[in-house]
Amino acid sequence: MTTCTRCATALEDGDLRCAICAFPAPAAVWVSGGPVHAQVLRCGECGAAVAFSAEAQAPRCGFCGHAMTIEQPVDPVEAAQLRLPFAVDRATAEAALRGWLARRNWFAPPALSSEAVLESLTPLSWAAWLVNAEARVTWTADSDAGALRSAWAPHAGEVSLGFHNIIVPASRGLREAECRLLIPYYELGRVVGIDRALGAGEVGSTIESFDAQRSAARRYVQDAIEATAKVRVQPQIPGQRYRNVHVACLLERQTTDRIALPAWVLAYRYRGAPYRAIVHGQRAEVVFGKSPIDWTKVGKLVALLALISAIIALAVLLR
Amino acid sequence: MPGLGADVATHAVTFTCGQCGASLALAGVRTQICPYCASPNFLERPPTPDQPRPAFVVAFTGDATGARRTLDRWLGTRTWFADARIKRARIEDLRGVYVPAYLYSAVAHTDYTAAIGEHYTETETYETTDGEGKKKTETRSVTRTEYRALAGHHVGYVTDVIVSASIGLPNAELQAIEPYDLLALRRYTPAVVSGWIAEEFSRDADACQQASRREAVDEVGLRLRQFMPGDSHSDLTWRTTVTWESFEPILVPVWVLAVRYRDDRAPLRVAINGQTGAIAGKVPLSWWKVTLGIVVAAAVIAAVIFAIAQHGGQPG
Repeated sequence: MTTCTRCATALEDGDLRCAICAFPAPAAVWVSGGPVHAQVLRCGECGAAVAFSAEAQAPRCGFCGHAMTIEQPVDPVEAAQLRLPFAVDRATAEAALRGWLARRNWFAPPALSSEAVLESLTPLSWAAWLVNAEARVTWTADSDAGALRSAWAPHAGEVSLGFHNIIVPASRGLREAECRLLIPYYELGRVVGIDRALGAGEVGSTIESFDAQRSAARRYVQDAIEATAKVRVQPQIPGQRYRNVHVACLLERQTTDRIALPAWVLAYRYRGAPYRAIVHGQRAEVVFGKSPIDWTKVGKLVALLALISAIIALAVLLR
Repeated sequence: MPGLGADVATHAVTFTCGQCGASLALAGVRTQICPYCASPNFLERPPTPDQPRPAFVVAFTGDATGARRTLDRWLGTRTWFADARIKRARIEDLRGVYVPAYLYSAVAHTDYTAAIGEHYTETETYETTDGEGKKKTETRSVTRTEYRALAGHHVGYVTDVIVSASIGLPNAELQAIEPYDLLALRRYTPAVVSGWIAEEFSRDADACQQASRREAVDEVGLRLRQFMPGDSHSDLTWRTTVTWESFEPILVPVWVLAVRYRDDRAPLRVAINGQTGAIAGKVPLSWWKVTLGIVVAAAVIAAVIFAIAQHGGQPG
């Protein structure tokens, strides 16, 4: 494996520059990846790209069921090397979704559960980078240590940190906010190779291709590492309370694996509009999604609030 | 695609502009005037030896027609007082040029000092007078700032610094249309620039490297301002050491519109980022329009004053 001369990050075939520090890659690296191109099936509605597998023959989006279009990315297409097996089977996922739909808030249409047309309940393994890196982190913060007249005093420091198994979303089918909700509940100790055969009763899934191209990954990885570093430097800050934590990271020796993470995706339509809900592939209690809003109810609530306000205003005026 | 109306040459030819000094290699395109300054004093000469070979290139993403639309939209937002000659420029006056530049990156280690302002509130008493004119003492809460010295270290990579190596398009003009999306960076091959005008690397590499370092240090300064804790800060000073520098020759795409509207004046020039469409340039004012505007405004003001005077002098 070729590494970057400047920061020792692993370079990959086709890299022109290091993804972390932008140092030019040796010619041997970029030449090897030059001519590789591929076509990706892209959903015309929600933007997801899903790779074809033996189990998924139909050219339909696994996230929302919409027809797909073809695009040709600049970078070589990447594929997951690792996967996390499903621990939630279809029956459990369905039960979790039914419970979630029943718990929808007051603003959901009363006919949601009866009129919603279920389009698919699909086991999908969404794409993410699994990042390991070392970093020299400089930080500044305010804390109560050494405070004088103000409750805060400024502090600065420096620490070397290791970052292990930081999950950085590479999915376009799932929004970043959705990935952030799923990530804390994955048990990475159960990771297996992507080629390992399915065990008895194990859920087979469609593997999402890497949609955020690796040339764009640097910003995502940097942001993710800095967000983690802000938490990790907190024990270094003197005092009991702190605020305004800023970090600057010098990443080194980064390695990146591509992993497919399990989730059940429910695509349904209510009165023509597509919606979806997501069940965590390892923890069935983690369910979230979007559901339609009954604007009649919203209107009634607004009218009721206006009426109450008017009555209160009238009472005040008549007093 | 080269600018419309260009005569296509089958081999690369090098020209030097006698006016602005730019040296341009025209592979597959020929022009009679300098694309940077519209000077007809544009002479063929042998290529300069020992030119750096570009390592990377950012490719054009559109054609001259699209650039012309960008220019028209931009001109539409300019003042009415703009010289009309710029609007009469023909599409063939807009030339696509691969501008030479250097792509710089480095590791930046910075030692800084600053006075960090931390707010606190105090209750103070003050005297005031009530409605009856009697003096009374009241209290109020005021926010004050306590400044504390902070010294520390900051590390980071400074990447994607681009400095012009062009005599025709100085760095300030290139900076005005940056940034380029370097995710679309390609390894340079002659085929990428075939059919376009490409300027030779005409600025001294050492001077460009110094300029790159200055930009890197400025970038560190911007980051430091975001890095400071507290409610405010002042007296920020820093000393940056750059290591592990990389300094790669690259070509970046620029659409240039140069209009020479008076022989005794510098040419008017508008530059458009050939990748993102960002546009910058100075539009000269038309002095007869400015004069006409002043005259009309003065006439309107005079008419209003006259009307008010007339109305005020006659009751009812």
